[in-house]
Amino acid sequence: PAEFSSTIEMPDYVVKYMPMVSIDQRQSYKDDFNAEYDEYRRLHARVENITRRFTQLDAKCRKMTPGTKEYQKVQEEVLKEYKKMKHHSPNYHEEKQRCEYLHNKLAHIKRLIADFDQRRAQAWC
Amino acid sequence: PVEGSGDANCVDEILKEMTQSWPPPLTAIHTPCKTEPSKFPFPTKESHSFPS
Repeated sequence: PAEFSSTIEMPDYVVKYMPMVSIDQRQSYKDDFNAEYDEYRRLHARVENITRRFTQLDAKCRKMTPGTKEYQKVQEEVLKEYKKMKHHSPNYHEEKQRCEYLHNKLAHIKRLIADFDQRRAQAWC
Repeated sequence: PVEGSGDANCVDEILKEMTQSWPPPLTAIHTPCKTEPSKFPFPTKESHSFPS
C-alpha cells in the first residue's frame, strides 16, 4: 500500500520537463524546483511529524496485550490523537497527496539536472 | 479517512492509515559553483525515489 502515485500515467511534469539542452534551461528548471521546494519541505515535515506520532502509538499498542487496561488506554490515545490531527489539519489527506505529487515532480526535475551535469562533466573530460 | 467511533476496529484502521511509510525529504539542488559554499553534504547519487 501507499506507493506514491504509481497508477498515474505520464504526470504533467514529465511532459513539461524534458531532458535539458542548455545552461539557461538548467537554470530555469532549478528556479522552478526552488519555487516549490519550500512548500514541499513544509508539507513533508507536517506529514512526517504526524506519521511519527502514530507510528509511536502503533508500536506501543503492539507491546500490549489486547483486553488489558493499558491497551485500552493507548487505543483511546490513538483516537484522541486522530481527532486532534483532524482538528489541526482538516486537509491532511490533500496535503499529503500534494506533498507526494511535489516529491515526484521535484525528484524528476532534480534527476534531469543531475543527468545534465553528468553529461557535461563527461564532455569536459 | 476514518471516522471516529471508538471501537478497536476503528483504531486499527487509523493506525494502518496513519503509519504508512514516509520517505525522507528530497534534498535541495546542489550546484557546483564557486559562489556557493559546500554546505550541502550530500553524495552525488540520490536514492530518494519511491518504490514503484
